[in-house]
Amino acid sequence: MASITDCVVEGLKYPFNDIKKLLGCGVLFALMSVLSLGFSLKSFGIFKASVDVMEKTNSHFSALQFSQLPTGDIYITIAIAIISFIVALFIMGYQYDIVKFSIDKKQELPGFDDILGMFIKGVKYFIVTLAYNIIPILVLAAGIALLQDSSAILVIVFIAMILFIIAFFLLIMALNNMIAHDDIRKAFDFREIIGNIANLGRGKYIGIVIFTLIVYMIIMAATSFILSLLSMAFVAAISNQAVWVSAFIAIIEGLFIDSYGALFYNRVCGSIYRESIK
Amino acid sequence: MILDIYKDALEYSAQDWIKLVILGVMCLFSFLLIPAFLITGYNYRVINTAVHGIINGRDSLPEFDDLVSMFVDGIKVVIVEIAYLIVPMIIFLVFALISSQLTGAASSGLMIIGCLITFIVVVAACLMSQMALCHMAYNDGAFSKAFALSEIKKAIDEIGWFECIATYLGLIIITLVISIVVTAIIGLIFTAFGISGAALGADPSGVFVLGAFINSAVAMFIVGPYLSIFNARSIGLLYSMQA
Repeated sequence: MASITDCVVEGLKYPFNDIKKLLGCGVLFALMSVLSLGFSLKSFGIFKASVDVMEKTNSHFSALQFSQLPTGDIYITIAIAIISFIVALFIMGYQYDIVKFSIDKKQELPGFDDILGMFIKGVKYFIVTLAYNIIPILVLAAGIALLQDSSAILVIVFIAMILFIIAFFLLIMALNNMIAHDDIRKAFDFREIIGNIANLGRGKYIGIVIFTLIVYMIIMAATSFILSLLSMAFVAAISNQAVWVSAFIAIIEGLFIDSYGALFYNRVCGSIYRESIK
Repeated sequence: MILDIYKDALEYSAQDWIKLVILGVMCLFSFLLIPAFLITGYNYRVINTAVHGIINGRDSLPEFDDLVSMFVDGIKVVIVEIAYLIVPMIIFLVFALISSQLTGAASSGLMIIGCLITFIVVVAACLMSQMALCHMAYNDGAFSKAFALSEIKKAIDEIGWFECIATYLGLIIITLVISIVVTAIIGLIFTAFGISGAALGADPSGVFVLGAFINSAVAMFIVGPYLSIFNARSIGLLYSMQA
């Protein structure tokens, strides 16, 4: 391979190998975006209702009784949150399969026949992601909870940012390492992970990850610009149906764009691992 | 030698006007972001053909196939150019910051010196970034080669700094002259139409609007792509001149 950026070219082409499976993955993402749309609508409704109650009774938010709030809406919101978490686990499981196929250099896209296996893989993917991000999250939370001084908070946020970035770069290789050996303990084998990164070259590794992110962001910016033009056209044509228009746009975005982006990104991650163990 | 480069590049860019129009259509849709990177990617392909070719070497214009790799190449080109232009920007900002702290003649004097230095560095950075793109293309698109400063400097040393700067300035002059002449000719033709129409008693404003429209269309679909291919080809050939 002449240049490491050929991985990115290959990753961009990869989702077109099997449009049906791309759309299958897109259905999951579309479900996810519709759920999150419903979640934000419902939580906005709850917020509005509680502000109404606060104005009527002239009391503070913490003094409100639970029964004063729209309880039915709160249960629906919690249910939506749980369902979208489960859908997200399935999406992560599918991403796991994509990385696996990429490491194995398979050209086809993974199928959807093993639903239970996909769920278990998703749980693994989620646990590793959470484990790597837990330190910066704790630092950030502790800093905000303990320090009320504004200047010290900035320092803490800065440190947390750096920790997040370090965790992000390690996480990619950790996930790859776990998926390649199909063993969750390998995700925390720091010697092997750092060895892999050093084998590829630290600068090269950071460069290719940043380059992939830039390509990803450009594609997302371009497509979301087109989508916003499209939604403006819809809004101009159809009046008083903003919720349906945004639901429609959310479905299109999940079906084609989010799924394409996720496939692209995970394919490139797998290719990076393949390059690093050469 | 320099004139040979220009002659070859002028002929090379005029080979196929359909490709120029395709580039022009991409330029029209470049507000959608992705076509803008396709244009830079196409220029990178021109450079790639030139650095592997020779002067007067019967190369043909690159095809519009494999758009995905063209897109990725375009992003690489943009990143390299931005990275090289950051240096003069930082120099300019440093001078601006220092001079804003001073007062009176010292402030303006420092700012003038700063602008001069920035200008020189901008020219050097543009030349270096173009050479860096050539060096990257020559090494099969390896991204790290675009920032291998010592190798790029060695390549420029072998060509000769004077030749490089002369070719580069010549390119700027030729680009300006061609675009000004074409615009002026179309403008003159339509001015003549308008004046003769007005002499016959017709309203000339429509003719002038049409003239301006045709002028921008020609600039976008023919002259602009032509000049960008011309520039890329010349720089690529200049790189291939090293001993």
